[in-house]
Amino acid sequence: MTTCAIVAGIMPNVTEGCVADAKTGVRLATRSDESDLRDLTRLAVQGDRSAIESLLARLRPMVVRYCRARLGRVSGHYHIADDVAQEVCIAVLAALPRYRDMGRPFASFVFGIASHKVADALRSSVRSAVPTQDLPDGPDQGPGPEETVVRYIEAEHARALLSRLPENQRELIILRVVSGLSAEETGNVLGMSPGAVRVAQHRALARLRAMADVESIA
Amino acid sequence: MTTVHPGCSPRERGPEADPDVRRTDEIIDALARRRPVGEDADAVVRLLRALAADVDQRLSSVSITPST
Repeated sequence: MTTCAIVAGIMPNVTEGCVADAKTGVRLATRSDESDLRDLTRLAVQGDRSAIESLLARLRPMVVRYCRARLGRVSGHYHIADDVAQEVCIAVLAALPRYRDMGRPFASFVFGIASHKVADALRSSVRSAVPTQDLPDGPDQGPGPEETVVRYIEAEHARALLSRLPENQRELIILRVVSGLSAEETGNVLGMSPGAVRVAQHRALARLRAMADVESIA
Repeated sequence: MTTVHPGCSPRERGPEADPDVRRTDEIIDALARRRPVGEDADAVVRLLRALAADVDQRLSSVSITPST
């Protein structure tokens, strides 16, 4: 089966709000999860269609969160970030036949691709038209307007603070907090030991607190 | 499970064993798992939680149809 056929056949659209397990929270990977993921990856590399679907279902929410955190909203929407997440998933699928397990978790391979795609998007000055959402079929079950606005303002404030961190610390906090990777997985993505990740995230949080304190005084 | 030699000082065990570093790791883990952190007075924790909630949000038009 060609990559195009795989992509066309199983690639779901990552549209605004498509974070499948957002309601149930994020589960950090355990050692057995990593083992499952490795088996799944091995089967997916061999072209097993159901393994590819399962692999994508596991990875896509993390990729969407990562892209949203890095790229933020444009005109109040996550369309650009979600499009980039879609591109990441397609690139992962396209690269799958060439993937070789070198002992590092598959997530590090995926977030390596995601990091490059996000950097490309940030460099690009072209912003496509922002499509409007479909009209809802029923009452909106989400948070009310006031809560939405408060959350939006706080999220933007978090992004502004994160943007002032050194790149490595910013990436680390986004992978740990937003994408929900474990210290081990984050270390594999960033080329650090889990212990170094824990120390660096402590320093990053201290730095963020110092910046927030200065803002509150000013 | 981390084995800590009782004879080792925190300095000898390295910065990872620092109680503050471990507390931060607990906070980060709780944020990552979208669980209550118990640090509501901490503005940065509140902001990071808001960012996580913002990127998690589920709006309408969720599609699982194959793209072409």
